[in-house]
Amino acid sequence: MRTNGHGAARVGIGGPVGSGKTALLERLIPLLRGRGIDLAVITNDLVTHEDAERLRRARLLEPERILAVEAGACPHTVIREDPTLNMEAADSLDRIFPDLDLILIESGGDNLASTFSLDLVDYWLFVIDVAGGDDIPRKRGPGVIQSDLLVINKIDLHPYVGVDLQRMRAEAAAVRNGRPVLCTNCRADEGIAAVADALCDAVLYRGA
Amino acid sequence: MSSAPEALLTALQFGDGQFPGGGFAFSWGLESLVADGRLARAGFPAFVGGQLQHRWAGFDRILAAHAHAAASDLPRLHALDDLADALMTVDSARVGSRRAGRALLGTHVRLGTPGAAAFRGGVAAGQAHGHLPIVQGVVLAGVGLDRAAALAVSAYTMAQALCTAAIRLGLIGHLDAQRTLADLRPGMARLAAQDSPGLDAISTFVPVSDIAMLRHADQAQRLFSN
Ligand SMILES: Nc1nc2c(ncn2[C@@H]2O[C@H](COP(=O)(O)OP(=O)(O)OP(=O)(O)O)[C@@H](O)[C@H]2O)c(=O)[nH]1
Ligand SMILES: [Mg+2]
Repeated sequence: MRTNGHGAARVGIGGPVGSGKTALLERLIPLLRGRGIDLAVITNDLVTHEDAERLRRARLLEPERILAVEAGACPHTVIREDPTLNMEAADSLDRIFPDLDLILIESGGDNLASTFSLDLVDYWLFVIDVAGGDDIPRKRGPGVIQSDLLVINKIDLHPYVGVDLQRMRAEAAAVRNGRPVLCTNCRADEGIAAVADALCDAVLYRGA
Repeated sequence: MSSAPEALLTALQFGDGQFPGGGFAFSWGLESLVADGRLARAGFPAFVGGQLQHRWAGFDRILAAHAHAAASDLPRLHALDDLADALMTVDSARVGSRRAGRALLGTHVRLGTPGAAAFRGGVAAGQAHGHLPIVQGVVLAGVGLDRAAALAVSAYTMAQALCTAAIRLGLIGHLDAQRTLADLRPGMARLAAQDSPGLDAISTFVPVSDIAMLRHADQAQRLFSN
């Protein structure tokens, strides 16, 4: 199933603090499971195990399928320069669940320069949100530009924060050289299926 | 190792704080001490000195030296690893040593370092735990460092990891870290060059950080693994 080597496909989810990475996971997990995909999650919380606990409490997956890796105050190091602990965690999930198709790895909230090591993931998405401002794509951070999929979340909020969503989307597409941009509202479950489709097409060759 | 510069370059590569072995996520008690206000900026060099003297020199150094000498003798490595496990009475130190050791081992397996895959086979089969000093001995022998150089790398990576953790915790500045490492250098060099004591000489007891590690395990707010 996996595109490079064996074991489950590994997909990174990065993005600034509070952009909705965990909210997206909470929407994606039931949808992907509904498509028969065997999955697990690794969170990289900065200071606590809050995101892992939140996912466990939501009972979207068995607790053993949700691992938390500490980032030693360096959310970008643990996904980019030294993703060893994430790789060990993913390897251990592959060992425990031999039929696993997909491992989703949520990065701790970081800045626009955070990217995933290509030795860690097969594919990664970067989640920004409209409340962060429509100038974010124009700032051309490596996360915005290099990610395989850019997700603009919290589109429900655009009228309240004075953001021109069409323009934000067009500018994001312009800096990304044709790579995909999708809009979501994780509150109301809008746009999530398109994210799942993109991810399945890219790393699982099935799903949609 | 064919030349002195090559040995130096090898030591630089594997002693580099950027080497991806997962070490940056461990604080070995430092995070709790800082959170509890039990360690101040001025006390940091003495803290690292104490760790080197009472944890590294009497424990990690001896095990790493024996593992280095036995790098291709799997039964012997398993016995050393078991000894390390039995002697580490502080839970989060033992778990941390296993996690850090396995992480470092995983990177060396991927890099194809001689001896790494064989030892990892033992870990995967449940014959060994993969403790950090044992892994260091195996992989640093595998990359071709002699015993003294391997031990110098082991000491330096520990001191360096504590320094960068202290910077990230806001305890010290970047220059404090360099001064601390420079001050400790003669001591590290002396310990690395000494003949290795026998296994009977092993001891580890650093009450301040041992207690801090015991307490860390229960803390909800934490940046580091221990
Ligand atoms: N209105 C609205 N709120 C959202 C949406 N998605 C997430 N939120 C809210 O935004 C806040 C942050 O969401 P999280 O999912 O915790 O964000 P995160 O990126 O995981 O945050 P960190 O892991 O702390 O970086 C929460 O209060 C969510 O309920 C959305 O689409 N619309
Ligand atoms: Mg989150």
